[in-house]
Amino acid sequence: MKEGLQGHQERKRRAERVILLGLPVLALGILGAVLGTAETFGDWAVTAGAILIVFAVLLFVIGFVLFQRFESNFKHEFLKDYLSGLVEEGEFVPKKGFKKIQGLDPGDVYNTEFIERADRFYSYDYFRGKIDGVDFVSSDVKLQRIEYETYRDKDGRMKRRKKYVTYFHGRVFHFDFNKDFTGNVLVLERYKPQTRRKYSKVEFESVDFNKKFRTLATNEHTAFYILTPHFMESLMKIEKNHPGNLGFSFIDNKLYFAIHTGKPTFSVRPFRRLDEKLLEKFREDVGLIHNLVDDLKLNRKIFKED
Amino acid sequence: MEGWIIALIVIGVLLLVVLVWFIATMNNLRQLKVKVKEAESGIDVALTKRFDTLSKMVETVKGYTKHEAKTFENVVKWRQNMPDELTVKQKEEFMEKMNQIQSDINVVVENYPDLKAEKVFTNLQRGIADVEEHLQASRRMFNANVSRLNSRIVTFPTSIVAAKINMEKYPFFEAEPAKRQDVKMEF
Repeated sequence: MKEGLQGHQERKRRAERVILLGLPVLALGILGAVLGTAETFGDWAVTAGAILIVFAVLLFVIGFVLFQRFESNFKHEFLKDYLSGLVEEGEFVPKKGFKKIQGLDPGDVYNTEFIERADRFYSYDYFRGKIDGVDFVSSDVKLQRIEYETYRDKDGRMKRRKKYVTYFHGRVFHFDFNKDFTGNVLVLERYKPQTRRKYSKVEFESVDFNKKFRTLATNEHTAFYILTPHFMESLMKIEKNHPGNLGFSFIDNKLYFAIHTGKPTFSVRPFRRLDEKLLEKFREDVGLIHNLVDDLKLNRKIFKED
Repeated sequence: MEGWIIALIVIGVLLLVVLVWFIATMNNLRQLKVKVKEAESGIDVALTKRFDTLSKMVETVKGYTKHEAKTFENVVKWRQNMPDELTVKQKEEFMEKMNQIQSDINVVVENYPDLKAEKVFTNLQRGIADVEEHLQASRRMFNANVSRLNSRIVTFPTSIVAAKINMEKYPFFEAEPAKRQDVKMEF
């Protein structure tokens, strides 16, 4: 596996070298264009500068395409086996996500009832498996909404332009929940309910928990049934490591969990080392799923018939 | 406009504001009380469910030991002599009695491994664990609502309204130190 990693590291370096090569070419191009403005050098310097700038842009494009190709290969040839091996019945599919065309519906994301419907929906790095007998499905999700901004054009006229704003970029998980319950419960930090269902606010005995999370339920008893003192403590612990970014919902005997990180979970960035340290970071991300199962005791099946 | 008319209007408006506030506070307190009552009925449901499941468990262990059946009969008699609607204190007592039976059954299970292997018994244990969780949830929900109501009752100026409508502080459903420990479930 280590050899494989080195092979990918080499491919990554090749792509980075092309990008790096673009930098001096770009510098020369700019220099040429600047010198061209002086009378001594004339038009030929401007032309050479422009050609060099175009060539530099071409190198950047090629470099980034090569990098994307490397990343795709890395995920398919290395990360797929690596991550799948970290959990029971593990399956990592880089291109797949909560997408309708691949059999999974964006509805799986909106079923959380706290993630707002997007104008642009991206989903990738599907990862499913079993931890201590608990089934989970997860995927990276990036959601954007259309916003309009007004600006003045060069003639001073007011104009309006459309732009896409990312409001969620992170990971969404579904877990089998170990208790049967009636009604829905939302435990939210930065989100709002996105449903017409009638939710009421629930206040628990823990003042700290009430301060951190806003709990809404269609049935107050269910909220107390699901959120035992231990469960609340575990949510607080998870929140401590990811402050301000969590959302949980308990719907149809499933636990939905969303974490906004603002970046892809399993990505390799240019000019960052591809080594054991990065794999360790990926293992930690998978560790979050382990923590959820262990801390929330989702593997305790004493409340449900097998 | 005459000064006394203005004074009258001001007093009238102030009285109206106080009246609206009084009615709103009174309604809020009554709504809180309804929530407490709802939560209390949740405890009743959970206690009854636990009682039913325990009776089935006692029926199952009867073949192994007579003692638990006798204890359970005593609890049944105790319950029959009580009014239909128990006070919070009586409910606590009822829960404690059931805790005792549960603990006794656990001892029996320890001594008779065959019992542990019985599917019916395992299902009942699973059932009682769930009922136990529901009971805890009801108890916590009740106490959370009581806490909200009681703090409103003692806080000025709501305390004036509470006193006017004879609303008193509600007792918590408390587990004594010995009862606070979860009933140990063996699987």
